[in-house]
Amino acid sequence: MALILFAILLLLAGAALALTLPRNYHRAWASIGSQSAATLITLIAVVPALFNSKRLETVFQWSYPVSHIAVSVDATSAFFLAFSLPFTLLGTIYAFGYLAPDFEKQRHIGVHFALLNLVSVSFILIYTVQNALVFLLGWEVAAVSAWLLVIWEYRNQKIRFAGFNYLVSTHLGLLFLVAAFMVIHSSTGAFDFASFRPFWGTPSVLRNVTFLLLVTAFGLKSAFFPFHTWLPRAHSAAPAHVSALMSGVIHKAGLYGLLRFTLLMGTPDRWMGWFLILFSTISAILGVLYTVAQRDIKRLLGYSSTENVGIVGIGIGLGYLGLYWHQPTLVVLGFSGAILHVLNHALFKCLLFYCAGALYRSTHSIDIEKLGGLIKKMPQTAFMFLIGGLAISALPPLNGFVSEFLIYSGLLNLNIPDLTSKSALIIEAAILALVGGISALSMTRAFGIIFLGSPRDLAIEYHGEAKRSMRFTMALHSVGILVLGFVPMAGISLVRRPTEDFLNLLGESPTHSDYLTQAYSGLAPIGKMSFIFAAILFILVILRKFFLPQAQKGPIQHPTWGCGYAAVNSRMQYTGASFSSQFSGIYRIVLFFLRKEKLPKTPFPESGHLNTHCVDAVERRMFKVLGEGENMILNITRQLREDSHFSFSLGLAVLLILIGLVINTTLGGNS
Amino acid sequence: MKLLPWLHAFSVLVLPIFLIGIIQRTKSIWAGRKGPQLNQFYYSLRRLLHKTPIYSDTTSWVFQGAPLIFLASVFTAALFVPLFPGYVPVSFSYDFVFFAYLIALGRVFTMLGALDTGSSFEGMGASREATYSALIEPAFFAALGTLALLAGKTSFQEIFMALNDSPLTWAARSGCLIALFILLQVESSRIPVDDPNTHLELTMIHEVMILDHSGPELAALEYGTAIKTTLLCGLIASLLNPLTSTEASEKPLLGFAVSMGLMIGLAVCVGLIESWIARLRLRAVPKYAFVAFWAAAFSLALLLIRGECQ
Repeated sequence: MALILFAILLLLAGAALALTLPRNYHRAWASIGSQSAATLITLIAVVPALFNSKRLETVFQWSYPVSHIAVSVDATSAFFLAFSLPFTLLGTIYAFGYLAPDFEKQRHIGVHFALLNLVSVSFILIYTVQNALVFLLGWEVAAVSAWLLVIWEYRNQKIRFAGFNYLVSTHLGLLFLVAAFMVIHSSTGAFDFASFRPFWGTPSVLRNVTFLLLVTAFGLKSAFFPFHTWLPRAHSAAPAHVSALMSGVIHKAGLYGLLRFTLLMGTPDRWMGWFLILFSTISAILGVLYTVAQRDIKRLLGYSSTENVGIVGIGIGLGYLGLYWHQPTLVVLGFSGAILHVLNHALFKCLLFYCAGALYRSTHSIDIEKLGGLIKKMPQTAFMFLIGGLAISALPPLNGFVSEFLIYSGLLNLNIPDLTSKSALIIEAAILALVGGISALSMTRAFGIIFLGSPRDLAIEYHGEAKRSMRFTMALHSVGILVLGFVPMAGISLVRRPTEDFLNLLGESPTHSDYLTQAYSGLAPIGKMSFIFAAILFILVILRKFFLPQAQKGPIQHPTWGCGYAAVNSRMQYTGASFSSQFSGIYRIVLFFLRKEKLPKTPFPESGHLNTHCVDAVERRMFKVLGEGENMILNITRQLREDSHFSFSLGLAVLLILIGLVINTTLGGNS
Repeated sequence: MKLLPWLHAFSVLVLPIFLIGIIQRTKSIWAGRKGPQLNQFYYSLRRLLHKTPIYSDTTSWVFQGAPLIFLASVFTAALFVPLFPGYVPVSFSYDFVFFAYLIALGRVFTMLGALDTGSSFEGMGASREATYSALIEPAFFAALGTLALLAGKTSFQEIFMALNDSPLTWAARSGCLIALFILLQVESSRIPVDDPNTHLELTMIHEVMILDHSGPELAALEYGTAIKTTLLCGLIASLLNPLTSTEASEKPLLGFAVSMGLMIGLAVCVGLIESWIARLRLRAVPKYAFVAFWAAAFSLALLLIRGECQ
């Protein structure tokens, strides 16, 4: 525990150095150096907790009103710490290359790096403390530093707006979290997580309300639908490494919160499991639908985060049902799938954002429709983007498939007790398959339009491959994706201990390790088949070499077949919008397009234009209420006033319901 | 039985050539022609393998790698799809999930190969393929999930072996049969979803994606598609196979013969449907894909209403 304290001090010292040192390069190195040391120290401290059942626990005495702060690192904390800190370090290394143009300018770059250090500090706080007040402190440090990181280019009004939008949303989430803690505190009189058990562990109406408050708070943090509206804006405005860290690492705190409170809860109610599954399914499907229509690659990746937290949520919901039904296999598959998907998502989402950053540095554009043919100009970035894109579509043999396979094998499991639930979860699996299919469409579109074909906008200049520090970070992420994909047991070894803690909620039992081994044995063939696939591919590549030399001259180069049309130009290629137009047409109920058009009316050429823009339905509705809400309420009240009997009876009904709820709650709380 | 692995290898490697031949021959006979010989597809492949490939200036390694990755994914999938009862080289729990995603991997690379040429035709084909395959995906999971529920097993081989002969099972099977048959038509681009013989790029789906491929790479794509068709036919044949599991394990050769008969029958069906009806308008294809999902969901609902599994 002393090691973790030391890591916090190191990070703070690094932040202070980054702020005070005279030269930009020294400031950046101060941050990278302190983060490396802190990461190493933290890893040394938490790795035993991740692989053995060793648990770090300490209590710090503190003054009023906190009285004491319990700190503990169990397997779940260790898991989140063990990936968050190294990923933040890699992001900082990437920032070194990404912000290179700013190094030359007279801009104080230390602030940015100091904030990155603070993000690491907030991880240590959130993932270790067992005290609601300090938890909120860590939550707030993460939120504010993320906000300041987002508005790095603060001179741009749009970016300030996106940052403000994020700040408001994240604090709305904080309000819900504070409300939940207030409810719990009023029932238990404690801020210590361990003291929550008597209230949080027994079913009551108030617990249900608290659960909903917590899900809203954590949902806002992790950008579940419909709490995602801040996310695409913030991701598109922030520097690439900040988007990557926010999407892949910082917002996993919401999922951590959900998992932490599950561990504290014990056995959840049945409705909670179904509620989580439904809520997460909506996130997954709407998130992925929105990726189909985006022009801005970073917005696209942002929506894809909503999709992926949805998939994690489905896993958690499945685990809840497993806990309720006392089915150890479901608990293992649900929670392992969810926790592993958190790590997998961090790997491929950060990689994709880093690639988007590399694109931006090379072309100064992240508009899919303007790019094209970049595989020739940036072959390494293209290859890594492809790996990330395939992984995020959950295609074998990469890591995304492993965690989704766990979730699938939970959804289609034979241990689900009743037929109705089985049928519902089969339909759920079918929906997850649809999400996978749409995700593949979306990533094919993104990779195909950006990197393949020929450049679409000749005005764009290409500045070649990304800086070495950026490619270093990207390469490490790609290696992680490949390793976790080809060796599923590597990922499993990381999530085994955290899952065991969830399994212990069913009561400690020596048979648990059998369940774990049995559930995980299903993954062994996946790794084997991945290697067989690679071997077959290798043989085919050799065979191709064997067939090609038989041709005398080697391959012939020729322009693409244009159906006999000779004046083909690059503007005639398929665009991102045309690629997805048929698909988004089917889902036009949710994919809301703003159209500005002046179409030609006569058979002869005349000037015209068509401009389509996919807007977020939730955000549009929200702004409409914010902008015109007064008028809406005014209209309603005006109608009510005309019919006084109606309004009187309505008011009475609402009053009665409220009174009933209050009485019910107080009685329920007392009994 | 040492013979069985060889029979499986035969079904994966040689049978596709004849299945394609049978589909062609059926169409020819129905149209009043004599038609090509049944192994014509083999000669086409051999011809393509000896040709020099032509690469577009726009393309990159993705274009050349895509056919190989597609073929590799299909070969890998062939390892765990039961083509006749009683034998499959590899079988593991939820292998059907792996199957679906492996096929998706091959498909994604076919689409990327198409987009690599920068041709608007091929972009159009890729867009259509992406759309329809995303929509058909739930049908496969609903169908296999229902069958897994019905059989109480979790891998292809075990599911098909464990299905019994009760009327309920056959009713549920028929819904899944419709789902899988539509899946076959979408995945192997047959009428009414796609017309493999159309001559106009604007109306194609699969064919337009491989317009620029030539020589050995085109052969890889054609062969891969034929194997994929065979695998899906094999799945449907296993679903329809009337032999009980004891019969199948005692007389695997009988099972093989029945399966071959069913697959040939399916190929004739595909050919007949191609002769009888025109393809759907492209806008109607999504609805056709939904029919597949609803057919599978109907089977599931049937189980739910009857409140029983095997």
